[in-house]
Amino acid sequence: MKNFNYIQPKSLKEASDILKKKPHEAMLYAGGTDALGLMKQDIIKPEEVVNLKSVPGLNYISYTNGKGLRIGALTELAEIAENPVISEKYPILRHAALAVASPQLRNLGTIAGNLCQRPRCWYYREEFNCLRKGGDMCYAFDGQNKYHCVIGGGPCFIVHPSDLAVVLLALDAKLTVFGDRKTRTVQLKDFFVSPGDDYQHENNLKAGEIITEIQIPELPQDAKSAFVKFRERGVWDFAVVSVGAVIRKEGSKVISGKLAFGGVAPIPWMDESLNAKLPGVALSEEPVAQLVSEILKKAEPLSKNAYKVPLVRNLTKRLLLEL
Amino acid sequence: MARKIVKSRYYGDEGLIETMAEVPVDKLKAWGPDAELKVVGKPVSRLDGYEKVTGKAAFTFDVSLPRMTYAKILRSMVPHAKIRSIDTSEAEDLPGVLKILTHKNCPVIPWHWGTTVLFDTEVRYQGDEVACVVAESMQIAEDALSLIKVDYEILPFVSDPSEAMKAEAPKVHAWGNIIDGKPSLYSRGDVEKGFQDSDVIFEDTYSTQVVVHNPTEAHCSVVSWDGDKLTVWDSTQALFGVRDAIAKSLSMPASKVRVIKKFMGGGFGGKLEAGKYSVIAALISKEIGRPVRIALDRKEMNLSVGNRPDSVQKLKAGAKKDGTLLALSHYSFGNVGAYPNDADCSWPLRTLYKCPNVRTEEYSVLTNLGRARAYRAPGHVQGTFAFESMMDDLAEKLGLDPLELRRKNYTEIDPVSNRPYTSKLILDAYQKGSEAIGWKEKRKPAGSEKGRFRRGIGMASQIWWGGGGPPAYATIKLNEDASLHVMAGTQDLGTGTYTFLAQIASEVLELPIEKIQVTIGDTETCPYCSLSGGSMTAPSVSPAVRDASEQMKRKLISAAGAILETSESNVKYSAGKMSRLDDPAKIISISEVIEKLDEKMIVTTGAREANPEGYEINTFGAQFAEVEVDTDTGKVRVIKVVAAHDIGRVLNQKTLFNQLHGGIIQGIGYALMEERVVDTYTGKVLTTNIHDYKIPTIMETPQIEVIIVSSGDLLISNTGVKGVGEPAIIPTAAAIANAVYNATGVRIKSLPITADKVLMALSEKN
Ligand SMILES: Cc1cc2nc3c(=O)[nH]c(=O)nc-3n(C[C@H](O)[C@H](O)[C@H](O)COP(=O)(O)OP(=O)(O)OC[C@H]3O[C@@H](n4cnc5c(N)ncnc54)[C@H](O)[C@@H]3O)c2cc1C
Ligand code: SF4
Repeated sequence: MKNFNYIQPKSLKEASDILKKKPHEAMLYAGGTDALGLMKQDIIKPEEVVNLKSVPGLNYISYTNGKGLRIGALTELAEIAENPVISEKYPILRHAALAVASPQLRNLGTIAGNLCQRPRCWYYREEFNCLRKGGDMCYAFDGQNKYHCVIGGGPCFIVHPSDLAVVLLALDAKLTVFGDRKTRTVQLKDFFVSPGDDYQHENNLKAGEIITEIQIPELPQDAKSAFVKFRERGVWDFAVVSVGAVIRKEGSKVISGKLAFGGVAPIPWMDESLNAKLPGVALSEEPVAQLVSEILKKAEPLSKNAYKVPLVRNLTKRLLLEL
Repeated sequence: MARKIVKSRYYGDEGLIETMAEVPVDKLKAWGPDAELKVVGKPVSRLDGYEKVTGKAAFTFDVSLPRMTYAKILRSMVPHAKIRSIDTSEAEDLPGVLKILTHKNCPVIPWHWGTTVLFDTEVRYQGDEVACVVAESMQIAEDALSLIKVDYEILPFVSDPSEAMKAEAPKVHAWGNIIDGKPSLYSRGDVEKGFQDSDVIFEDTYSTQVVVHNPTEAHCSVVSWDGDKLTVWDSTQALFGVRDAIAKSLSMPASKVRVIKKFMGGGFGGKLEAGKYSVIAALISKEIGRPVRIALDRKEMNLSVGNRPDSVQKLKAGAKKDGTLLALSHYSFGNVGAYPNDADCSWPLRTLYKCPNVRTEEYSVLTNLGRARAYRAPGHVQGTFAFESMMDDLAEKLGLDPLELRRKNYTEIDPVSNRPYTSKLILDAYQKGSEAIGWKEKRKPAGSEKGRFRRGIGMASQIWWGGGGPPAYATIKLNEDASLHVMAGTQDLGTGTYTFLAQIASEVLELPIEKIQVTIGDTETCPYCSLSGGSMTAPSVSPAVRDASEQMKRKLISAAGAILETSESNVKYSAGKMSRLDDPAKIISISEVIEKLDEKMIVTTGAREANPEGYEINTFGAQFAEVEVDTDTGKVRVIKVVAAHDIGRVLNQKTLFNQLHGGIIQGIGYALMEERVVDTYTGKVLTTNIHDYKIPTIMETPQIEVIIVSSGDLLISNTGVKGVGEPAIIPTAAAIANAVYNATGVRIKSLPITADKVLMALSEKN
């Protein structure tokens, strides 16, 4: 790890200014669970490490009846998992938070850090100068790509590693972003960037921008939600694939809903045309089987990850039938 | 005590070991099955437990010496290259850098049987040593590494053993890519005829992956010179091996090298050899005149200090309709990495069952990857997976119950040497193990389960050596206050050596364990014991401690006889007191005896006796696994493992369970998730941390039931102990694979049995 200056800003403005002034040399640091690993492996070598935790007022969970939930950027995943309001109103969020990493990492890792974590592609994490690190080739494409994407890839084939992003997408979340001395709001679905547009960044934050809050709208009374994460190891493992579902139904029929998928694409994946097919679907074997056969229709698996397609379909089917 | 020198022969991790060994002339009678032992065999808590759970225990890494410096190795980032030049000038200029060693300024010290040297000018795998920096701090040493400029002439490389075997493949060494240039061969009987006479023939190919030891504790040495004497604290399974390798490398007398290892966080075979890093640290330490600590990081451990070689095994079996095996053949090759080792894995096929006609042909293949080393039951784990998978396939083809097929081919004579076993209780293991798992009641025909979650039961047999043998010595010192010191040059890998050695002395001399101090892990103060591999530690060292303790008892009785003015046979020893049988009021304590002798302590040294002539000593067992396969995802969950083993006498029930639980969990990792993944395009490893290299966690740990079917082998030694460390892991993967087949009707022939393989195999089947 390279030596660095450790900066403890007192305000968002101060933090943002440093980041903006040195877009390549400064790095924002929240819980550090990902940032520290990246630094130790020399994947990033910041000169200035800007500790967001020294900025007060970014760690909160607040719920307003009729309006929804607001979570401060620095809220740790463990707090999200333990919060009684979240457990009651947004159990899917609790479920996703609990599925992340290990208790130790959840105690430190924050929600905004989780959304902004860098890819886990092993070529990226090892000493390969691949496209995403400024090199000229993607090693995964023809290489060991069992854990890579089956859709939306090229020229880089990562999957987005965040579990929370998948459920927040299904929950229609928004982010508040501070930068350039003002705030903007962005829909989570517009936040992530496909490698086709920019293969070096996973989201559209500009230099100096900091996520300050995550907002989740009130869910209708009759909404049902569920999340399933498939991992090879029972704990301390990223999703091979994951599915989040937020569905309104009447009797056994879907009125409307959203399905979001993790582990299949370079961004948390939502297929609008698939979601458009949800209304009217009866939640029983035949129609659900029919519906899930539409999932990842346009998938183009790599040499070692064709299994992800049936896996995601099977999981989604089970999820919907058990809703 | 009178001793003699005999020829000693036994199998260890490195294969057959034949030595001359000094052994006692008179063998002590072994504790019989109904010996009433008070301490041995009991669940005594670890003597080092308190220190370990409180964090007080000082491991090698915790050794901190005044003026200590820190070393870090620069390793090759490419799989194969010649070093054109190295420029260390910038690194040397970094404040705090004390010394940099490269091939330019390092003496030529042969390594790996002379196939390379300490710092070679040709690097043969990602991870090969290029330079070493010693600095005032770890941070400075690491920073300095990035300032060293190496100009490589890149050479072609090969990472796939099947490619490496081809004539046109890039050569890892000029002399070729196959160890010895030829296969290792074994045969008995007439295999072709055996196949001709068979009613049923079964043939298939099975394969296993490379797995890495990844013990919790990193490989680490701390070295310090005092004049011409070198002390090395090392995390090792082979104290004396390290001592001699360092002495030889540095051309110094072995008596001037002292190796110390107090506590250890696992080795699994990866620490059976002296590391280059220890020698490098010693060289630099001598030059700078300060102690050096060198500790490998997790990445180095995944690249450079060993692994279990992979295997491709083509097996063929011929049997009569009733299941009698008539012929077996085995062809295999495995990847040993960049320097010599062996990948042979046919021993289970040669020895598990009676079969008159057997042929094996095995290739150990060099590639440009980290070198293989012994890893917990080397060869047997790979071999048992393939062979015991095939036995189940054969049973299916014959329409026989898998257990029946195995019972049918049971042998009491070792089929290779034609000698009888000292003891073999595998039939009891089949019986008790199958009852415990519910073989009869619960096991259904393969693939008959329906629904999302499908359960199945499978089993596999286990054979391994593990009888230990001489030479092994132990010295005990009895003090005037009746406290006792046990000393033996063995080591505790975390397996419980400290505790069982104290138990033996406590048993014989009837002294409380609290009064016994055990010193092991020190080449200077302790008498010689062999390395801790091949499941040999307990079977080799425990009889030496009993021998020393019994001698001590005899000495005390003899002294008491003299003091109490009676014959030795009229003296009764009980709990540290000697009394006259004919006059129990005449009683004398250890303290009084020692005082009268005018010695401050009494010392005896015991030795492991010879193994019996004309026998084979093996451990046996069977493991039974119940699994549940999720057909939606392909994920296999192990629900229960029953481990029924014949391992002679149990010394300590708690540490025995630790060994079996640990081995089974490691076996589950091998069966289901662990795998070193290599990018074949660049020859580089992708799994260099223990997140991507998936070791199992408590979530993967099933219910484990241990059944020991043996009560002590009367022929092998005075304690009747056989080893358990390696038996524990041998049959686990095969039992799981057979259970997966039973659950789904799908045979996964390559390890690890990951969800994607099962899911794809299930969808192909449907
Ligand atoms: C071993 C391991 C296993 C893991 N397993 C999982 C898993 O199973 N599922 C999963 O979802 N995640 C997993 N993670 C990721 C983990 O959840 C994230 O590392 C964590 O949530 C990041 O939060 P942090 O506060 O520590 O972020 P940091 O490490 O401090 O930062 C991560 C990145 O986000 C940026 N960042 C942080 N806060 C902000 C902000 N407010 N605005 C803009 N940018 C910001 C930082 O600059 C940095 O680039 C795992 C991580 C590890 C190390
Ligand atoms: S998938 Fe992306 S991060 Fe991985 S090797 Fe390819 S370009 Fe690099």
